[in-house]
Amino acid sequence: MGTSDFVSNFVLGVIAFALGSNFKIGSMKKAGKPVLWISILEAGFAWLLVTLVMIVYFLAKQMPIHPALVLGAAAAATAPAATVMVIREYRASGPVTEMLMRVVAIDDAWCLVFSALAIAAANALSAGVFSIGVLMEAFLEIFAALMLGGMLAVLLYFLLRFIVNREEILVIIVGVIFLAVGLSMRLGLSPLLTNIALGIIVANIAKNSELYFETLRQIDMVFFLAFFVLVGANLEVSIIPRIGFMGLLYMAFRVIGKFIGVKLGALISKAGSNVGNYLGWGLVPQAGVALGVALSAKALYPRFGEIIFTTITATTVLYELIGPLAAKYGLKKAGEI
Amino acid sequence: MNSLLSAGLILILGFVGARLLKLVRLPNVTAFLIVGMLIGPHMLNLVTPEIFTASEFFSNLVLGIIAFSLGENFRFDKMRQGVKQVMWISIIAALGAWILVSTALIIYFITIDMPIYPAIVLGAAASATAPAATVLVIREYRASGMLTELLLKVVAIDDAWCLIFAAMAIAVGNAMRADVFQMSIVFAGLGEIFGALLVGGILGYISSKLSRFIRTREELLIYTLGLVLFNVGISIALEVSVLLSSMMMGLVMVNMARENYKFFEVLRSVDTPLFLAFFIISGAHLDFSILYKMGIAGVLYVVFRTIGKVYGAKLGAKLSDAPKAAGDWLGLSLTPQAGVALGIGLVAKTTFPDLGNYIFTIIAATSVVFELVGPLLTKYSLTKAGEIVSTE
Repeated sequence: MGTSDFVSNFVLGVIAFALGSNFKIGSMKKAGKPVLWISILEAGFAWLLVTLVMIVYFLAKQMPIHPALVLGAAAAATAPAATVMVIREYRASGPVTEMLMRVVAIDDAWCLVFSALAIAAANALSAGVFSIGVLMEAFLEIFAALMLGGMLAVLLYFLLRFIVNREEILVIIVGVIFLAVGLSMRLGLSPLLTNIALGIIVANIAKNSELYFETLRQIDMVFFLAFFVLVGANLEVSIIPRIGFMGLLYMAFRVIGKFIGVKLGALISKAGSNVGNYLGWGLVPQAGVALGVALSAKALYPRFGEIIFTTITATTVLYELIGPLAAKYGLKKAGEI
Repeated sequence: MNSLLSAGLILILGFVGARLLKLVRLPNVTAFLIVGMLIGPHMLNLVTPEIFTASEFFSNLVLGIIAFSLGENFRFDKMRQGVKQVMWISIIAALGAWILVSTALIIYFITIDMPIYPAIVLGAAASATAPAATVLVIREYRASGMLTELLLKVVAIDDAWCLIFAAMAIAVGNAMRADVFQMSIVFAGLGEIFGALLVGGILGYISSKLSRFIRTREELLIYTLGLVLFNVGISIALEVSVLLSSMMMGLVMVNMARENYKFFEVLRSVDTPLFLAFFIISGAHLDFSILYKMGIAGVLYVVFRTIGKVYGAKLGAKLSDAPKAAGDWLGLSLTPQAGVALGIGLVAKTTFPDLGNYIFTIIAATSVVFELVGPLLTKYSLTKAGEIVSTE
């Protein structure tokens, strides 16, 4: 594992942990329903639309259609890091911002479920057997990540009783986030979900949890900066021309799917028109989770995995560049910057 | 085991270990070193090779931060009369350790028919102190008072004397071995010091001027950390002393503008995890089996370095009319020894093909002793001087 992997995994852990703080039970009683509706629908529609378009495209090209399912599932994911950075930098605040932070936190869970479903379905298409096992594994992975996060939250809470000064809060929080990421990787779980669970439970069981999250906020900008500079240094801009017609379709329909899903979700859950109109902009960034899906697809389908992988990496490069601008635009339009 | 898991274990076990060893009143520094030894490659092996590879980068950063913060103690408007005391005490304490250790070892080496030049190099290494451990003890127990202030200044500058002594010792050692006295080695030593002061001074000046572009506290932190890293990097590239250049940068900055205390303050709010990890990794590097190789020479080194520091500081305090408590307790609090001495050991290893390894082994072995015992002595002397109020 290189240094930049080390930094980026840790930073994603920090971001996910911080996102967990948005899920306090008190505030979730009111906001729970819209968050679920919006996140499921935006992820679901991105999946559906991209898959449909890709199926049409592959049919027209007379290629097998099962890679379409996986591409669609990857489209469901969003990248919390860039969105959170934009929110922080412009000190955005308001209902759209709050909802956005919650949605980017949990839609990765849906993405994991969808990609497991997609891989199972694609397997069924190519080999004629639908294995329920893959799906069960995905649920198990989510469940295990939540459990691990919960256990580490208890450890964190316990250790925090022994601190003697504020500086030691930092030692423990950073240490537990490292443990959460490291153990998740070791056990083959999603580090993002583990850390979100960790953050959620800490936010809900610790009395002065705000102090803990605040302590971390004081230093995390250093890591974020290093993280995005490393991401930038690793971006292969030369891959953009290989994006092709397929990649453009993917990009367009992923965004359209997200916008439709957000609008519909906001309508059903009565989250207000501001949320429905502008939250989708914050969901444009795409990064690690989608790449993870692409990597497993590459391993599963030696023949078509390559196309999936190239498409997703190329679109990710573009999304990384456009995403933050889109998030800023949406929040500005919503009047929260 | 991946590196992230290992990093998590380092921080959490370090915290837990420090709390547990607090029950037997050990300072945190010692606790971190012990935890480090436990999880290091010689025992539980929980530290991955990647972390070891990164540890050089990391320890340079931490030493840079510590030396930079030490610079804060040299505010000109506050230390008119203190200068004389700091100079006398630091020079004579360093000199005392050098002379006593060298003399004792020369006698020993003559009796066992060995060349005597290693004694001179070892003596120079004995003059070094370890600022990191000292600073951590002071911080942990919130020590404050005249002795603490003096101590912070002495550990900041005595590395300069140590570097001069080491350069001279290696030149003399070479002369005795090969019958040529290379003045260039001495000049290189002086260059390392003045180069460091120049680098740190220039960077401190520029960055204090540029700091008006900082808007938020977050940017302040990024700026300060970046600055320390940048300075360390340049110093390594130019082969000048990292500790001295960082110290000089802090010194220049603290004196340039009143509000520049913010640089030191922002570092203090984040450096605890760094220090903890630094000492744990140092502990993981400690190899206890090397203690067996210490021999009589090592024992002499330990004893006479301690005596030299104690009486050197006493003499220095007397000559500069420092308060009596300073003379009584400052020497003992200077006992921690680590990186600077090891650096001299490394130079000796490459300079003297025959006995360089022997020199290095003795320095490494005595460093194990002083790293573990030194913080205890620092704590003891600060308590005796009444500058640590509560050890709880």
